[in-house]
Order: sequence, then C-alpha cells, then structure tokens
Amino acid sequence: MFNKLTVLFVVVLLATVVIGTGKERLVVYTYDSFVSWGPAAALEEVFESQHDCDLQFIAAGGAKTTLSRLLAERDASGTKADLFMAEVNEVPRIMNYDLFLPVTKEDIPNLALVPEELLLDPGGGFVPYEYGYITLTYDSQVLTEDELPRSLDQLSDPRYARMLVCEDPRTSSTGFSFLLWTIARFGEEGYLDFWQAIDPTILTITSGWSEAWAMLSHGEAPLIVSFSSDTAYGAMYEDSIRYRAFAPGGQGYRTVYGIGIVKETTKPELAKAFIDLLLSIEIQEQLPGTEIMIPANSHAQLPPEYDEYLVIPEDPLMLPLDLVGERMERWLHDWERAIVAK
Amino acid sequence: MAARLGAGDRGQVKRGGFILFVGLLAFLGLVFYHPLFRVLQRGLTEGGKWSFSPLGTILTDGYYLHIIVFSLKQAIMSTLLSLGIGLPGAYLLTRYSFPGKTAIRSLTVIPFVLPAIVVALGFILFFGNSGWVNQWLMSLFHLSNPPLHILYSLTGIVLAHVFYNAPIVTRVVNAAWEGIDPEIDEAASSLGAGGIRRFVGITLPLLSPALLSSAALVFIFSFLSFPIVLTLGGARYATIEVGIYTLVRTLLDYRLGSALILVETALSLSFTYLYLKAEGGFAVLTQGSRRLVVYPLFVRKASIGRVFIVVYIVIISVFFLGPISSVLVDSLRVAGRWSCESYRQIFALSYNPFLGVSPLRTVLNSLFIGGIATAISLPVGTLIAMFAVRSRLPGRRLIEAILMAPLAVSSVAIGFAVLYGLGGAPLHLSGTLIAIALAHAILTYPFVVRVIRPVLEGLDPSLVEAARSLGASRNRAFFEVILPLIGPGMLAAAVFAFALSIGEMTATIMLMRPGLGTMPVAVYSLLSARQFGAASAMGMILIVVTAVAFLAIDRLGKRGTKCQSL
Repeated sequence: MFNKLTVLFVVVLLATVVIGTGKERLVVYTYDSFVSWGPAAALEEVFESQHDCDLQFIAAGGAKTTLSRLLAERDASGTKADLFMAEVNEVPRIMNYDLFLPVTKEDIPNLALVPEELLLDPGGGFVPYEYGYITLTYDSQVLTEDELPRSLDQLSDPRYARMLVCEDPRTSSTGFSFLLWTIARFGEEGYLDFWQAIDPTILTITSGWSEAWAMLSHGEAPLIVSFSSDTAYGAMYEDSIRYRAFAPGGQGYRTVYGIGIVKETTKPELAKAFIDLLLSIEIQEQLPGTEIMIPANSHAQLPPEYDEYLVIPEDPLMLPLDLVGERMERWLHDWERAIVAK
Repeated sequence: MAARLGAGDRGQVKRGGFILFVGLLAFLGLVFYHPLFRVLQRGLTEGGKWSFSPLGTILTDGYYLHIIVFSLKQAIMSTLLSLGIGLPGAYLLTRYSFPGKTAIRSLTVIPFVLPAIVVALGFILFFGNSGWVNQWLMSLFHLSNPPLHILYSLTGIVLAHVFYNAPIVTRVVNAAWEGIDPEIDEAASSLGAGGIRRFVGITLPLLSPALLSSAALVFIFSFLSFPIVLTLGGARYATIEVGIYTLVRTLLDYRLGSALILVETALSLSFTYLYLKAEGGFAVLTQGSRRLVVYPLFVRKASIGRVFIVVYIVIISVFFLGPISSVLVDSLRVAGRWSCESYRQIFALSYNPFLGVSPLRTVLNSLFIGGIATAISLPVGTLIAMFAVRSRLPGRRLIEAILMAPLAVSSVAIGFAVLYGLGGAPLHLSGTLIAIALAHAILTYPFVVRVIRPVLEGLDPSLVEAARSLGASRNRAFFEVILPLIGPGMLAAAVFAFALSIGEMTATIMLMRPGLGTMPVAVYSLLSARQFGAASAMGMILIVVTAVAFLAIDRLGKRGTKCQSL
C-alpha cells in the first residue's frame, strides 16, 4: 500500500520539479518580510520581463537566521544562493567568511546615486538599498501618548509589565540592533543592568521581527521593538495610525539593509543586473510603501505619508562596525547569560 | 519454536536469520550508530584530539548549567501536575460507568500523539493574550487588559506538557487498576479496613509500577520537549533540546552542540533505564478472575464526592477540548465569517512566502517522507521484534537494548546525527527529503518493535508446526500462516510509524532547508507569522490524520492479538 503511495508521490514530486525548471535560475536569499511585505513580487515581474530567467526569492526567517543557513549550506555541500540580502551589522561576519564578490559603480551604474555615508562595507561587496531606524512601536488603543516611556530607562516602570515584545538578538537583526542600541546608550558596563531591569516588562522574546509585529497586530502585546516608519505604513495602507512609532528620548538605532553577490555564483552578470534594478528609481520608490524603509537611492521620492509620519530620531545611534565585529560574540554571550539564564 | 524444528531446518533458519540480522546491523550502523558516534566524538575532541574541553565548557558555564537545570525543573513540574490531573481520570474510568466510557478511554491516546506544534497552536489560540479565554474574561468583566498570563512563561510550558501527558497517565494507570483482583480489596474490607486504608495499603502499592512507569514516561517526554518550549517559551526559556538547536542551527557551534548532546544523551539514557525498570514491574500485577465493581457515574443522589467529580470533569473538558476546538473553529473562520478559505489556501499551488514553498508542497513532502520512513521502519522494526522474541543468543537483552537505542536519544540529536554524519561525503544527503525520511525511520522503528513484539509473542508456534507437518514449505508457512496472523499488527505498526512521521517536527527542523518544509514545520512558520487561519487548517489536517491513525491502531489492536504499545 505504501509502495504504491510512495511511487505516486515520487511521480508527483518529479513532475513539479520538471515543470518548475528549464530557464536559468537566479536565487536570492532574503528575509521573511522582504517577500511577505517587500517589493519581491514587483522585482520578480520586472526582472523576468527584462532577462530570460527565473528569479526566485527564498525567505527562511529573519536576516540573521538566513545568514547562518547560507553559511551552513556553503560548508556542507554548496549553496544555491546567487545573491544574499542582509542587515549591515552582518557585514563583519560576511567579511570574515569572505562571502561577497566586491562590486563597483562600473558594475552597477545606479550605485552612483547612493550617498557615500551608506557605503559601510570596506570590502565593497555589501550594496545598501534601504535604511531606517529601530525605535519602539505602540498600540495607541492600549497606551496613550502621555503614557509612553520618555526614555529607554523608563521601560522598567511596573506600569509596562508584560507589555514589550522584543526580538532575539541571536536570531533577528532587529533584535541585534536593539541590543546595540542599549550598548550605545548605557555602555558596555551598564547595558546588562538595563536588560535585567526590563525583564518584567518583556512579555516574550521572539525569534524575528515578523513574529513581534504579528503579536502587536493581533492584540497580544501593545509595545514592540520595530521601525520608525511604522506610523507612515499605517497611514498608507491601513487607513489608520493605530500602531505608532516613537523614539524614546529622541533616540533610535540606525539600520541599513544591503545585498551582495555570493562569491560562488555562476551568474555574476545577471546578479549585477539584479542589484542595479533594485537600486533603480522605479523599484526604490516602492520601498517606502513595501519595505517601509527609506530608499538608499537619494533621487527616489518619498511618499507624502513619510513627510508627515516618519519618525527621525534626533539622536540616531550607530556603533562602529569594526567594534561590532570584534565584540559581537561576547555581547551576545553575555546577553544570553543575563537574560536567558537568570 | 526453533528448538522443535529438525536439525537441517534449524541451520537454514539460523543462516537466513543471520544474514538478515547482519544486514540490519549494517544499515543501522550506517544511518544511526556511526553518525551518532561521530556527534558524540565531536563533543569529546578539540583540534582533532580527544579532550574533555567542550564538555568542560558545558558543565562549568552558568548558561548551559541553567539550561540543564531548567530542563529538569520543568520536566519534574510537568510530571507532578500530569499525575495530579491524570490520576483522578484513571480513578473515574476504573470505578465508574458512564455512557461513552469506552470512547473516552480510546480518546485518551489522542493528546499524546498530537503533534506538539498543534498543541502549541491550540494553546496560543485559547490561552493567549488575545485568545478565547482572555477575550471572554475581558468582555465578561469589562477589562481593558487581558487578565490571564500563562503563555510565554514556565506555567505555559508546563500546562502544555500536562495537556499531552496527563491522558497517558490516565490510560496507563487505568489499565493497571482494572487488572487488580478485587478479592484482595474485599478481603481487607471484610477484615475491617477502611476505604483510605485499603487505598493506601493495597491499591497504591499495586498501582505503583504503573504510576512509576507513566511518571517516567511523562518525565522523559517533557525533558526532551522541543516544539512547545520553542513556541511557548520564547528566547528566555530554553530546554537542552532548544539549546542544542540554537547552537547548531543559528550559532553553527557544532563543538558545543555535540557536547550538549553528549550530556543530554547521558541523562536521557539514565532516565530511560529507570523507565524500563519500572515498566518491567508490570509483571507483578495480579490479574483477577473477576473485574472491579463499577458504579454508575450519573445518579440523582448528590454528595460532596460527586461535586468534586463534576468540577473535575468540567475543568478537564475545558482544558482539553478548548485548545483543540479553537484550532477547529479558527480554521473555519476568516474575517469573522464561516469559510473554507483557509483550507483552500493549504491546497494552493501558489508560493507562500512564510513557508518558502507552496503549502501543498509541504503536504506532499510530509506524505513522501512518511511513506519512505514507514517503508524503512516497518521491516527494520519487524526484524528486531523477531530477534527479540526468537533469539537465544547470550547477551540478547543487551543487544536488544542497543537496538532500541533511538528511544533514549532525543529527536534533535538524531536530526543532528543525520545532518553531521550523512550530510557530507560520501552520501551527500544534506538538505534532501531522504535525510529527513531516514531520521524519521530511526525515530519510529522502536515503536514498530513495540507494536509487533507482543503480536509475535502471542503467536502459537503449534500453528506453524501443524502447517509444516502437513507439508508446507518454510516460506509457505510464513506467508500463509504467520503473515495473516501478524498482518493486523504489521498494519497497526505501519500506521503508527506513518502518523509519528507526519507529526514530527524536531528532527525535521534540524535537517530542513528552505523548500523542504513539512506540515508541522508549516504550522510552526504560519504560527510564527500569526497566519492563524492557515496554521489552524494545516493543524486540523494533522489532528485528523493522527487521530484516525491511532483510533485505527486501537481497533486493530483489539481485533488481533493484544497490542498494548501505549
């Protein structure tokens, strides 16, 4: 009985594989939100109409999880990824593993429109396509503006007990940025005390940003670590600004997302063409509305909702990347011990 | 039986059996013992040399010690609470008669075999901050904040473990209780012993093997729990299983991951040994000629005892039916209306970004993996059962224990062993469905053994002898006499293995890469994205598949020879 079933499923699987292939395939490893919210579908349509290929996005969790998976695959039997999208704090790790092929403005003409201050990879493989700020986002039906914490310190107030959802810095780039924020704010000697002080405030620590956002939007928690563009997103799509970003104490942590070409790719030209399309004004102007981030291309126009609702922290923080690369493991190690093993 | 055959036959049986047995050992060596050995070796080497340094790191680092202690702590709490909730149920099932009693007894197997990720889903939908219970309480008492906080805490983890372990306590203890000879009790009663004294002095000692064995079982399952802790605990609560998963899959630290597996395996081997000891104690149970007297549960006479019984029944009904019903209802409601849309989504061919493939593909992956895993674990398990029943080798108990080793090795460890041992050269199974199917075959074959072994033990050897004396060849005797007799048992074992594979998430998540997701992994991904409708629809399919499978086993077990695998 199972033999027949097995044969049937083998046939079905083979059939799907055969139907699915045929064209040259360009595989982009990305994070959940780029596919579920981001411009992936639009990119696929435009790119496949310009080039005779099958563009495939693979999202397997948050940005940090995807990098581990890619590195593990590369270690085991090679990866099928041609391009990889990551948050800028991964750059030290990416350089360590020599993952990206360096690119220049000659390879990617649109790179000339990206401001120098966003070009943060000394190796030149990590091409920024959007940036933003990690701040907090609250549910305005549960908390009023007056009730919000005026600074990170106030999060330890008992009135916020079990209200905050943050992301695991070991698995989520948003969570990692928040951890860096606390280090930039309280210093290496003080950040663990802060984390211990807000332990009663934390409802749970999710493995990625999508999960935290899902908990906010399903009424499971009124406060999450998220992006400063969340209010603008609500105004654009939900016709409601129920979920609002705010920068406690005027602070937020800078985050930059970029893409690079995996060294082992057999299609470097196609990959470069993809990055150029990603940096084109046409796609870049979609980012505020899909990725809910600020385009890296300085010629791209921002939608009116951004002018009105985008929260730009007066005091944006960002630790030097070489410091992050050097201390990352120790910080995560210490955080793990302070928060998980209390 | 072999002893009664002629000398020539015995030689033939031995030779054939020997070849099969060597083949079996070679296969298990390749896919299980050697990979597991390599993992354990990895945990005991540093820079290519034997060293205690990784183990030393684990055993001196406060973080890993915390994880180990937390695993033990939550397992002890889960065990005690499962006994507390399960025992009254066993008492009710034993001493009272009520309509639907047989059905309820059969249903006690369901929570235990439900995929843990579905239990987690049910808990979030029912007990979550925006779940049913909190919504009711908020609208009932006009509250602005959810009053009940049980998820994302130790309480949530323990309650979820109780959900799927308490029924097994009920089941095991009830079976033992009904086997007690009522005459002992009656004799004590006629000598003037009161109810409490008889319970403490007679019933409890007679039940203690069943209590110990079910407690040990609950303890081991809670100790090795993965999906529930991962989903309901968040990053702040980690068991050893979650710790290994984090080390291996996100931090890529194979060295410490292997060392932690070493510690875990040592612990779970000790616990499994205790469990098997306790289970062996079943043999001392008396089997009475008469059954216990049962009383009708529903009578008009009210008493304090009856009130307690009613309260207990109401609480456990809400506790057990709530999470399952919320999965069912949620799968059928879209945007406040009744709809089958979520089920349509599950069978959609279109790509789903949260899964990395189409939902239908995860269903097909599950069926494919289940089919291959069953096709491997059924013959492997049957051969081991035959060995256990027939062999007269010296040291066969030890060999049998070694053959059943996957029972004592955690799913994360088996997943990692396959990943680490078979992922690279020469087989290059890394990132294939076959790797997942092999891990499932290893995880399920001990259960095949447990189903088939009692069937073989119950086989009357004189039937085969009669066939042989009437001139049937050995093969003919096997196909026409033995096979029809053990057929229902084999079918039950196959269904069992298939259902276990369909619901398996832990080893799968250790081995999967994008595109290889199965149904439980899909439930996890959809649940994480709070796509509750699709997660619930997928969860319902898993509930139905496992429930049908295990009810079928229950029936097959009754029709054929006694099969008390659970």
